[in-house]
Amino acid sequence: MNRIKAFISQETWSPYVAGVLLGIVGLLAVLLSDALLGASGAFESLAGLVGKKVAPSLFSNTYWGVEGARALPIMRPEITWSVILLVGVVIGGFLGAQSSRTFKFRFNDDAQWKRIFGPQPWKRWVIGFAGAIILEYAAGIAGGCTSGLAISGGMLLAPAAFLFIGGMFVSGIITALIVYGRRY
Amino acid sequence: MTNYIIALFLGVGFGFALNKVGLTKYHKVANQFRFTDMTVLKFMMTALVVAAAGLYVFRGLGWITFPAVPATYIAGNLIGGLIFGVGMSLSGY
Repeated sequence: MNRIKAFISQETWSPYVAGVLLGIVGLLAVLLSDALLGASGAFESLAGLVGKKVAPSLFSNTYWGVEGARALPIMRPEITWSVILLVGVVIGGFLGAQSSRTFKFRFNDDAQWKRIFGPQPWKRWVIGFAGAIILEYAAGIAGGCTSGLAISGGMLLAPAAFLFIGGMFVSGIITALIVYGRRY
Repeated sequence: MTNYIIALFLGVGFGFALNKVGLTKYHKVANQFRFTDMTVLKFMMTALVVAAAGLYVFRGLGWITFPAVPATYIAGNLIGGLIFGVGMSLSGY
């Protein structure tokens, strides 16, 4: 029992152990809910939900659905299974940090980030925000993100997942080369 | 309703795993693209293999039918991936 406790309270697990946990979670999602894990879709559903309230005509399209149309929307603008999953992810992340007593409000404390981009928190926020927009937009085009397409699609051996992973690494490496320059 | 409770619990497991592997930190994700830290690939591929093996066993036992496989449209998946990598490498998310 103490060994289990000691294991859980470690700050970092072996990626293989955590990977097995995520694999089991992904498996249970299919077994219990007939659903695939995904993160990006939840943001799109929430964006659609808010957008339909704020600017109904702008958000009335094939992506979020047209009122009264027979065609199903690509992303349902409602509280979907994925949105609830996302709430769980936030709670799980908090519990994970609590279990190792490393939970703390941080604004910009990644040493490597500070070395490359400087210590100002606003830079982290601006670049983080811009990067996240690029991520979400790309996930919309590809049909999923790292979790929804690469892992969930990959476990069904979908070709789409492996095309996506390939593309992700090509541009990710190029971006890192540009950002890090001679420090790569 | 039950489905939502399941989603919540699975989300907790998902978030817990992400936290424990350190993918909530910028340098873990960024360093994958510099190949100085292979955590992202080790984590992703382990999850993929465990889930894939389990799925095929469960299907063999007749417990599940496969959910809709993400659609393959080569240009979309590839271009999406190419844009995605820029954001992932830049922001570390």
